[in-house]
Amino acid sequence: MRGLQPLPLSLRVPLLTVALMVLVGIIASQQVLTTLRNVQNERIRELAQLQIEALSVALGPLVLRKNVWEVYDTLDRATGETHVQRLVFTAVADENGNILAATDPKRAPLDSPIKALAQDAQNLETLAIPDQGTDIRLLSDLTYQDRKVGQILIELDVSDLLAERSKAARLLLIGNAVATGFLALLGYFGMRRMLRPITLLVSHMRNSGERPEPIPQSDLPRGDTEMTRLFHSYNSMVGSIEAKAEADKRLANRERFVSLGRLSASLAHEINNPLGGLLNAADTIKTYADRPEVVRESAELLTRGLGHLRDVARATLDQNRLDRSGAVLVAEDFDDLRLLIRPEVSRKSQDLDWKIEADQKDLSQLAAAPVRQIVLNLLLNATEASGQGGKVGLQVYTGDNSLCINVSDTGPGLSKAACARLLGNGPASSEGGVGLRLVHDMTRELQGFVRLNRIDGVTAISIELPLKPENEGDLC
Amino acid sequence: MISRRSMLVGAAAIAGFSAKSARAMDVFRLGLTPVFLDNDAEVVDRLRGAFADTLGIPVELEQRRTYEEVTGLLLEGSVDAAWLCGYPYLQHRKSLELMAVPVWNGRPLYQSYLIAESDNTATTLADLRGGTHAFSDPDSNSGYLVTASDLARMQERPDSFFKRTIFTFGHRNVVRAVGDGLVQSGSVDGYVWEALTKTEPDLTKRTKVISKSEWLGFPPFCTRADRAGEPAIRAMRLALLDMGKTAQGKAALDLLQLDRMAAAQPSLYDGIAKRMRELENFL
Repeated sequence: MRGLQPLPLSLRVPLLTVALMVLVGIIASQQVLTTLRNVQNERIRELAQLQIEALSVALGPLVLRKNVWEVYDTLDRATGETHVQRLVFTAVADENGNILAATDPKRAPLDSPIKALAQDAQNLETLAIPDQGTDIRLLSDLTYQDRKVGQILIELDVSDLLAERSKAARLLLIGNAVATGFLALLGYFGMRRMLRPITLLVSHMRNSGERPEPIPQSDLPRGDTEMTRLFHSYNSMVGSIEAKAEADKRLANRERFVSLGRLSASLAHEINNPLGGLLNAADTIKTYADRPEVVRESAELLTRGLGHLRDVARATLDQNRLDRSGAVLVAEDFDDLRLLIRPEVSRKSQDLDWKIEADQKDLSQLAAAPVRQIVLNLLLNATEASGQGGKVGLQVYTGDNSLCINVSDTGPGLSKAACARLLGNGPASSEGGVGLRLVHDMTRELQGFVRLNRIDGVTAISIELPLKPENEGDLC
Repeated sequence: MISRRSMLVGAAAIAGFSAKSARAMDVFRLGLTPVFLDNDAEVVDRLRGAFADTLGIPVELEQRRTYEEVTGLLLEGSVDAAWLCGYPYLQHRKSLELMAVPVWNGRPLYQSYLIAESDNTATTLADLRGGTHAFSDPDSNSGYLVTASDLARMQERPDSFFKRTIFTFGHRNVVRAVGDGLVQSGSVDGYVWEALTKTEPDLTKRTKVISKSEWLGFPPFCTRADRAGEPAIRAMRLALLDMGKTAQGKAALDLLQLDRMAAAQPSLYDGIAKRMRELENFL
């Protein structure tokens, strides 16, 4: 059964049917042969009993008188008159077990012990034809007038019965093989036909790649069978999966705006802080317009403040514009991300460990937009998870033909649902956001993979994005 | 033993004669013995036909298993004549009279053969010591007396010389017993053995003749001495002597592989008588 497991169901079930039919054929044949064997054994027992009784009647008085010649003559004439040579050998002994006469005196010499010939002899009650050999031997008492006067050993030729048995076995084998083969073929094709809807279902599921395809109405089985209901259920399931995928997609897009929304508060704070200083500088300039050194200082202050505002605005604009630009990843992208995350880190008084160790050559093999989105999502999650006074870290370095991005935090760790969204390929649960699922999906799109570790209270999410091998890159 | 048996059959013969002489003979009864090829029904029919034609009355052939039985029938008068062996004839010589003797190969003589299986290496009777042996009949000259008297000359008795002896009550049976391997050797009528070599060569070729006796008187046709003068007996004697002259008789003789029947004198059996004396003296 285990050997059949690699086979498809559409082959496995018909083959199982064939195997069962063969098994039934073998059992039936065995039954027939057993019956034949029993019938033959009965027949040979009956025949042997008749022979023994007939010989006892004919030989009894002669054995009693130990008349060697008459015993021999009787045996010899009895052998000569038998048309069917079933009885091939007979030996008669006196009550002491010494041979008086035998149909083949050379084999059973006069006065030799009958025991020497009776080593594998059977008795009448249990006489049976063995599976091999051509003769069976029977040793029986020779009784006359209800008393034992000697012993009689007969040897019966059963080669014809064995041949009959063998012929029956052969015919059964051929007959059963033909019948079983025919029925097995019928069973095979019948089962194939019955399983065709399953094959169709499997085919649709297999051909659909990651997204299952509905089965067209024209291919649905007729009537209200289990298969029809199964197909309808399958089509409904396909529709649900498509709807879910669409919803996930919409949620993922929305997540970007959610990320930006989450940034907006810190951005407002980032803008608002220098804004008070800038307004003070403007007031100072108005008040002390006649004092050039004060105006110059205030103008410097204004310039620095506005420069900071320009940087923040640029980083925010870049985050939205990069999706469409198709720009490659550069080290400055991580500076932008630091700029974007810093207000949140500062607000929560968190310690930010920032290490960008990858070469520009390696970074430029990847598109900026997905990497920035992945890192931003992970950093935002990390800052939120770490809470007030926590630690958040980012480490980017080049591994073996891959870019490794490691985001760590001192938060309580990811929930089971969050782990499933980050690591699993199955449908995401409706609980929680889609940020982690977005990280998972985008990593997969970049042919990378995600690892999650938690050691000594630190949760580390590692993203490995494959890079082209160095020589391959050169060739390109 | 012989004298006791002679007395018994003698008494029976007197009673039988009295009854027989009281009525006319309407059927002639002839006793046959195992020296005859008793398995051949055609021979029996031919003999019956030949005698009946000559005698003019029906002939009944009475067959018995042993010489003793046939001799008893003759002595008690249950048969009118019998084909006996020289040995029983001599045992009852005073009560019996020779009617005719078959002539075989030109002489009324035959031999006793000592035979063994064809692959037996024995060349003399002495070589057969300790084996199994088949006799034809205890009252047969060729089938018992010759070998028993030969052993007597060696100061041996059959029962002690051979491990086991059996009687087959038929010379053909002796050949079968030896040829089939039931016994290792046998004493057989030389005439029967020779006849069998022509009619059943497959049987005799499984045996070989180890030794042959001297020529002895052929088994004769006998009647009771006191009835020898009866017309029917005389007619039967003539029928026997003229057997070769009728077609039926000639056919019967041919089947028996005999030349003819001849008149015989008791001296023909002196050789057998000598052996009888030797055996009696030893015992």
